[in-house]
Amino acid sequence: MSPLVYGLLFVVVAPLFGGLLAGVDRIVSARMQGRVGPPLLQPFYDVGKLFEKETRQVNPVVEPLLLGHLGFMAAAGALVLGGTDLIFIAFVFALAALCLVLAAGSVNSPYSFAGAERELVVLLASEPFFILMLAAICKVTGESTFQGVLASPVLVALQLPGVLLAFLFVATIKLRKSPFDISTSHHPHQELVNGLTSDMSGRLLGYVELAHWYESALLCVFVLLFFNWSVTLGLLAFAIAYGLEVLVDNSTSRAKWQLVLRSTWTVTLLFTGGNVLALFLLAR
Amino acid sequence: MANDMSALIVFLVAFPLVVSGVLLAVTKGALRNAIVVLACVVVAAASLVTVFAFGNGDAVFFGLPGGLTPGHAILVMEAAIAIFVVVVSLQNGRVLAPIMALAQLGIALYLDLGGHLPEPDPQRLFWFDRLTMVMVLVIGIVGPLICIHALGYMRDYQRSNPRIGGRRTSFFFLLFLFLAAMFGLVVSNDLPLLHVFWEITTLCSFLLIGYTRTKETVGYAFDALNMNLLGGLGFSVAILLLAGQPGGLDLAKLTAGPAAAALLPAIALISLAGITKSAQMPFSSWLLGAMYAPSPTSALLHSSTMVKAGVFLLLRLSPAMAGSAVGTMVAFVGLLTFLFVSIVAVTEQNTKKVLAYSTIGSLGLIVGAAGIGTPELVWVGVMIVIFHAVAKSLLFLVVGTLENRLYTKDMENFDTLLSRMPRVSVLALTGIAGMFIAPFGIVVAKWAAIRAFLEVPGFAGAAFLIIMAFGSSLTIFYWGKLLIKILSMRGIEPYERSVEDRVTRYEWFAETALAVGVIGVTAGLGLISEHVVGPYALTAFSAAPRAFLHLDPAMVIVMLVAVLFLPALALWASRASGYDLADFYTSGRTANAGHLMGAALGGTRTVTLRNYYLEGVIDGALVFRAGTLVCGVILTAMVLFGMVVRA
Repeated sequence: MSPLVYGLLFVVVAPLFGGLLAGVDRIVSARMQGRVGPPLLQPFYDVGKLFEKETRQVNPVVEPLLLGHLGFMAAAGALVLGGTDLIFIAFVFALAALCLVLAAGSVNSPYSFAGAERELVVLLASEPFFILMLAAICKVTGESTFQGVLASPVLVALQLPGVLLAFLFVATIKLRKSPFDISTSHHPHQELVNGLTSDMSGRLLGYVELAHWYESALLCVFVLLFFNWSVTLGLLAFAIAYGLEVLVDNSTSRAKWQLVLRSTWTVTLLFTGGNVLALFLLAR
Repeated sequence: MANDMSALIVFLVAFPLVVSGVLLAVTKGALRNAIVVLACVVVAAASLVTVFAFGNGDAVFFGLPGGLTPGHAILVMEAAIAIFVVVVSLQNGRVLAPIMALAQLGIALYLDLGGHLPEPDPQRLFWFDRLTMVMVLVIGIVGPLICIHALGYMRDYQRSNPRIGGRRTSFFFLLFLFLAAMFGLVVSNDLPLLHVFWEITTLCSFLLIGYTRTKETVGYAFDALNMNLLGGLGFSVAILLLAGQPGGLDLAKLTAGPAAAALLPAIALISLAGITKSAQMPFSSWLLGAMYAPSPTSALLHSSTMVKAGVFLLLRLSPAMAGSAVGTMVAFVGLLTFLFVSIVAVTEQNTKKVLAYSTIGSLGLIVGAAGIGTPELVWVGVMIVIFHAVAKSLLFLVVGTLENRLYTKDMENFDTLLSRMPRVSVLALTGIAGMFIAPFGIVVAKWAAIRAFLEVPGFAGAAFLIIMAFGSSLTIFYWGKLLIKILSMRGIEPYERSVEDRVTRYEWFAETALAVGVIGVTAGLGLISEHVVGPYALTAFSAAPRAFLHLDPAMVIVMLVAVLFLPALALWASRASGYDLADFYTSGRTANAGHLMGAALGGTRTVTLRNYYLEGVIDGALVFRAGTLVCGVILTAMVLFGMVVRA
């Protein structure tokens, strides 16, 4: 199959994957809290319902920005599988995240605005890692595309253990899991009400959910890059990593943005930076 | 062809010079407007004709018409510059600048009257190649647009600063004098000649920064003068060192390939000049002070052209310093400057200063690229020169317009701009998109830079990569904050709508033309790379032909969408009807649509939304000092290293 087909496949399959993942997440979380939890397909019912509800918009820029968020997020994943240069993806990924920030920031609600600012901090915290991660993967394999990395004889995870550790840390941010869910509030009665999405309703909220599913799928694709010898191995690693994220989500309280920024940069600099430095010094 | 080029270049330098002289005598506003507009059209046309005559081919060398040589004219110009600096400085009680100016004059006197200056080849005074072509187009197209913008801007500026009165004649005199010097600077192949033009741009910058002649601006003007004269002095010493070397004062010969060890000290000193002019750390503070000058000055001198002269020279030197310790140190100064100013920029609330930091950062990327010196990175450097010149000057002009209409440069006061000034917002968004929105021009350059850093071996490669990852992410943060403010919307009162109607037609024309330019260079990215920048990078390094831009169709589609996304969205949103600009969520405590919110214990409070400036996490002033210190140490090491190698 040509890379283009893989790219299109991502656009279709990723939301199903992300939705199921959200369903599993809710069941596992519920069990951890001693509840039964909703049916596996509940996230799909929820999002479906959002698209049927009346949508109230605060201003006309929100909807196009959220469509941009969804579109660029889907494009980022499609470009990875479609065989586009991996380093380029870091910028598309950031643009997608920025669209959400702008949508939330444009509505003037204090809750939404604070969520937008915190999401911008989160973007600032995590973006250096993704640039370094993708650059390191290209460096270690000598390849520049997803297909190239999968075909590489080098097992990326073995060469980039520090980057992989940092990935687990930063993924917590991107999956909006506690303690790093500072821009949203999945748990009620917190200071942000609903953060970023305070002023989004109906299909607008639907776009955000869909984009998040794409994002989860993209993170899974990143894990596949680390375990490039076997897709099965990669999926297994993702399952373990996600399990850890859910556990952390349920056992920590939210951090302040200052801590998120400081800790993420420290981890990125020490583990990812150290790993990259070793890679350059040892390469002969 | 050399004859044609010779005549055209003389015209490009002489014409703005004559216009500037005429403008000094014109005091009537309407007449001045007519002359400026006409002169701008002529300058732009002459630049295009020159580029057409050059024909985007191989480098050509030529002299003055009739085989004239400058002879003692260079010495006379150096003396005039030095005398001017001494007089102005002593009037203001400054001593540092006269010392440096006199030292430069001393060197010029020693070389010329002592007979130590080799006679330049009359057929190799000027050098015109693809890089010159890019610079001539930037100066000859962006420059006149900014001058036209200034006609509208300065009228309002004078209204809010009544004390400057009739000095507007000197403002336009300086702009055209500057254009003449810039044209001369980028075509000169003879280093002493180049140095004269270099110093004239320094003086123009000094006079334009101190234009309002308040105590504050005069202080900033002297900061800029001192730092740039230091660079100019380094340049003079380099000429002194090179005068004894065969062909040493011929820039093209000097930079034909890796420099011999004996030439490295001079290369280090010219790099120092390039670094001061492009406001790299430890010399960044002068560009921040320069932001107190009227906005067209910031757009013309301090973003699109004069500071580019610094990186232009470094890009020229790139093949000579590639692979040497001097080159590596230049690269570290540039990239560390990019990182440090990007950190400081996230703590800055004054939009013009954010633009200044962003400018220093972009120049830092070019300096870094030039210092490492591979064809790929020089490609990156020239691409940033092009994109930055168009997009950043647009942003400076827009901020100038906002400043005159809203009486503020504070980013926080630009909120709901899309509702209040929709047309200006669309222009601003085009500029911001041109500067940074992934995956637009500069992002393509950043991406190519990261690719190239992967090939740099050892510690330097890893360091460059890490610097790039953090610096690049910081730019998202400060641009993101500005975008949030511009893109927010609210219902507005009719009187607010009239604010935008007072923007002058000169401003509309210049800003719209630059916005079209931003979209144009982005659409033409592939063509520019393939026909101009790529061939230049290969010839500069005598490298085998190869392609620089590996864009697959999917990337092109994503880029085209991203190119127009924000401006198109804003254009549509500002005209969209059927939205009632609904009340936003305030936990059910809205007391009034828009601004007021029910507070605890009854009563109402105004909602104010302020961006994050990372207080408590980043101390901007401290970071700035740290960067100045680190880069200062590297730069000192670079100059000393040069001397050690020579000894």
